[in-house]
Amino acid sequence: MGGLLSYFRNLLGSREMRILILGLDGAGKTTILYRLQVGEVVTTIPTIGFNVEQVTYKNLKFQVWDLGGQTSIRPYWRCYYSNTDAIIYVVDSADKDRIGISKDELIYMLREEELQGAILVVLANKQDMAGCLSVAEVHQALGLDALKNRTFQIFKTSATKGEGLDQAMDWLSNALQSKK
Amino acid sequence: MTDSKYFTTTKKGEIFELKSELNNDKKEKKKEAVKKVIASMTVGKDVSALFPDVVNCMQTDNLELKKLVYLYLMNYAKSQPDMAIMAVNTFVKDCEDPNPLIRALAVRTMGCIRVDKITEYLCEPLRKCLKDEDPYVRKTAAVCVAKLYDINSALVEDQGFLDQLKDLLSDSNPMVVANAVAALSEINEASPSGQPLVEMNAQTINKLLTALNECTEWGQVFILDSLANYSPKDDREAQSICERITPRLAHANAAVVLSAVKVLMKLIEMLQSESDFVGTLTKKLAPPLVTLLSSEPEVQYVALRNINLIVQKRPDILKHEMKVFFVKYNDPIYVKLEKLDIMIRLASQANIAQVLSELKEYATEVDVDFVRKAVRAIGRCAIKVEPSAERCVSTLLDLIQTKVNYVVQEAIVVIKDIFRKYPNKYESIISTLCENLDTLDEPEARASMIWIIGEYAERIDNADELLESFLEGFHDENTQVQLQLLTAIVKLFLKRPTDTQELVQQVLSLATQDSDNPDLRDRGFIYWRLLSTDPAAAKEVVLAEKPLISEETDLLEPTLLDELICHISSLASVYHKPPTAFVEGRAAGARKSLPARSNSSEDSTQHTTQPHAQVIPAQDSLIGDLLSMDIGGPTMVTPTPAPQSGLGLDLLGGGLDGILGGTDTGSSAPVVSQSTTGLLGDIFGFNQGPTSYIAPKVNWLPAEKGKGFDIWGTFSRKNGQISMDMTFTNKAMQPMGGFAIQLNKNSFGLTPAAPLQVPSPLNPGASIDTSIILSTAGAVQRMEPLNNLQVAIKNNIDVFYFACIVPMNVYFAEDGQLDKRVFLSTWKDIPAQNEVQYTLKGIMLTADQVVQKMQQNNVFTIAKRNVEGQDMLYQSLKLTNTVWVLNELKIQPGNPDVTLSLKSRSVEVAPGIFQAYNAILHS
Repeated sequence: MGGLLSYFRNLLGSREMRILILGLDGAGKTTILYRLQVGEVVTTIPTIGFNVEQVTYKNLKFQVWDLGGQTSIRPYWRCYYSNTDAIIYVVDSADKDRIGISKDELIYMLREEELQGAILVVLANKQDMAGCLSVAEVHQALGLDALKNRTFQIFKTSATKGEGLDQAMDWLSNALQSKK
Repeated sequence: MTDSKYFTTTKKGEIFELKSELNNDKKEKKKEAVKKVIASMTVGKDVSALFPDVVNCMQTDNLELKKLVYLYLMNYAKSQPDMAIMAVNTFVKDCEDPNPLIRALAVRTMGCIRVDKITEYLCEPLRKCLKDEDPYVRKTAAVCVAKLYDINSALVEDQGFLDQLKDLLSDSNPMVVANAVAALSEINEASPSGQPLVEMNAQTINKLLTALNECTEWGQVFILDSLANYSPKDDREAQSICERITPRLAHANAAVVLSAVKVLMKLIEMLQSESDFVGTLTKKLAPPLVTLLSSEPEVQYVALRNINLIVQKRPDILKHEMKVFFVKYNDPIYVKLEKLDIMIRLASQANIAQVLSELKEYATEVDVDFVRKAVRAIGRCAIKVEPSAERCVSTLLDLIQTKVNYVVQEAIVVIKDIFRKYPNKYESIISTLCENLDTLDEPEARASMIWIIGEYAERIDNADELLESFLEGFHDENTQVQLQLLTAIVKLFLKRPTDTQELVQQVLSLATQDSDNPDLRDRGFIYWRLLSTDPAAAKEVVLAEKPLISEETDLLEPTLLDELICHISSLASVYHKPPTAFVEGRAAGARKSLPARSNSSEDSTQHTTQPHAQVIPAQDSLIGDLLSMDIGGPTMVTPTPAPQSGLGLDLLGGGLDGILGGTDTGSSAPVVSQSTTGLLGDIFGFNQGPTSYIAPKVNWLPAEKGKGFDIWGTFSRKNGQISMDMTFTNKAMQPMGGFAIQLNKNSFGLTPAAPLQVPSPLNPGASIDTSIILSTAGAVQRMEPLNNLQVAIKNNIDVFYFACIVPMNVYFAEDGQLDKRVFLSTWKDIPAQNEVQYTLKGIMLTADQVVQKMQQNNVFTIAKRNVEGQDMLYQSLKLTNTVWVLNELKIQPGNPDVTLSLKSRSVEVAPGIFQAYNAILHS
């Protein structure tokens, strides 16, 4: 009976969770968004601006914002920070050259006051590519060890193959619910 | 904490409230919030701070909300150019939306966002929308191309949108065609070169004509307007277009009718004016124009302004429709005045009786302006329709009898013109006019009356008294009246010298000593001097025969009229001004002109050269300047008669050379051509001094091509003869000999006047200079470029062919000096399209140095003047084939760029002349 009640509460009472998908250009953010929403791989073009979609995962509703990752657009990420519940930070594991930039952007972002309560999920994407960095290496390269006071987890994913996304979303749903 | 907290935005106030509402989860709340934002925007509050939040509402499936956000974007994208990039992705998505309304909305909004940074991202979606399956989207996209062209023309051209737009002209949907046409005409008009970027051809015109019958009325206007810009290739095509357009004349929309009239007026120019077709077309044009006059007054006015142009261009069209232009009592005044104007233009012997009785009626109306114009109209009828003059004059006399002040004054003004037109015919009425002398209070009427008194002083017994009465308040009179009074009294004095001497002295002193007006003073002085030096001459000047006055007044200048005909149904035809006169930023656009009847290729060149401004001022002003220059400063001030004026002219012109050189050489013509330095050279014995410019020798035939025979050469002009100077070098292993030369037929008929004289053999390694005198009596054949010359030189090895360029200056004849008057009249006679303008760069010479340098090369300076710190030189030259070239040089001290404008009946010589100028001035 209690489970049923909480089920209804979840269905009716809970507000949409606001999630941002961020990361450098070409990391696979838009592909992940649509993989989550429609479960398919769609052909994407570089996002000049943003996409916003409603994603329902295990009866939880998310409002997912996918922001373009190009240099010219990154300054405007901050306009989307307020009221954000979680950040999905996507890293191109095969792009070894720019992982440093990715780290800088991440650190810079996490310093924002508005994001202090946000849960962080790092996706080491493109794990299907040959010669990519492993999860541990990405963890290392992003300097995640130094993170304090932050609920976060890193997952290895391949958006095109659909691997790893479910685990990540499972963890995220649980983390969001336990946070409440 | 630092003090920076004081500068962070307060979390209070309207903007903050709106911000939080915009970020609300509930769609309804969001929509409400955006509506509030738009409302604030509309009343002028700055809500640009909400830009990111509003843009975040953009991705929605709610059409209403989307429209609101788009509206916001159009308004604020410009003030937030960097942030606007966040909207791009949404546009891209919306352009692929399944709903065509959203696709069209997206593409339309995209076109309205004038932010450079994002335009390039919008090309792809626009390209897709131009090929959209839905005609509404295609139509909107077509208009968007024109908008994009305005923002970034290069982008539109690079991305091939113009071709896509052109493809839309053959679209299956007429609305799409109409909008594509509208977009193309807009782009063509905005093209920086003034040349249309997309030319119409017969095929596309055909498609347009098909779409014309099917699309909406405004679409028809677009299509007709662009048809008006098309020049058919022959009169058959023009005729067929006319036939297909004629049904549009019956359309209910006045804009469609006027646009159709415009196209027909333009095409009719191309057709044989005597043909039956033109006759029936002319008949068909009248009824629609008449119908326009039964609409509301505003439309009537626009129609009347256009009809005014049409009547001036083709009076035949409406010659039987006089009655519709009769003024109705309840017409607004602006319609009345315009109708009156057209009535006068249409007045002819056939309808003059009707017109006159109408005009007489109008002269008794209450509206002063209208009555005045009616009275004036009667006078114009008298001048225009000769047989009716008598009736007009008697009508005017009747009106004068009414003693209504302004009627009398207007009548007197027009009677003055009638007197001029029909001398010695109606002077009997002068006495009636004189009765009304006291009531005249307007300057124009007073001036006219005074003119009449002065002109007919011998018939008016008390002319001196009458004029004297005017003289009392001389200083309070208007300038026009003062000038007229002065002239009238002088006339009176010349006619009755005995008893009016006192009067004339009085007016002369009033005009010269007590007046501040320079015009009046000058005229006074001139009369005074004339009268004191030679009364007989004064009589000839003052009482000279007057030129007849023209029948038509207020006519537009023909070229302006033609241009305005091309702008019928636009603001230009209402203002009677070309669009460039009142539209900013359109100055570069090509001026429209009517097509010529014959469709030869010359016409197209004529159109392209049209926009060149005429650099030489009008004849009168130049004559004035030349005169003042000739007389010189001092003679103006001292009142002594100027017997040396003729000499002054010589002193400043080439006369100095004449004086110096007169002793040296007998004939005067060549002397003028020589420069002072040249003469000095003669005196000191440097006979061979290089007087004229000789281009450096160039390699005409390199040794590799000439089997070891190497020729360098140039052309020069010495003592009136053209000489071809060459250096032959033998780089072969064997001696050369048996040289001979032949020239192909060329533009100036250059041919060797003597055989080539080269001592042979020319040994290996040796070189020799040789010259051959050329005459211009040979066969003429036009070459490209004009001064190209094909030469064949033979030696014992082979015959060698090469082409070389003859510098134009060797063709400059010694007798190329024009008389000033001839120069002026020639300049005026040569049509404006024969004028070409160049800029000579890097000229570090003063005007005098330029004069000298050019003179050494038989380019003669006719006049020099200084306008606003610029030196203007007017120069003439004559080519050996008697082509005259008139040049104008504009030299700004300190500016190395000199503008050269040249005019010639054979404009092909222009590039060569420019090169010659350039070479000479840089030598």
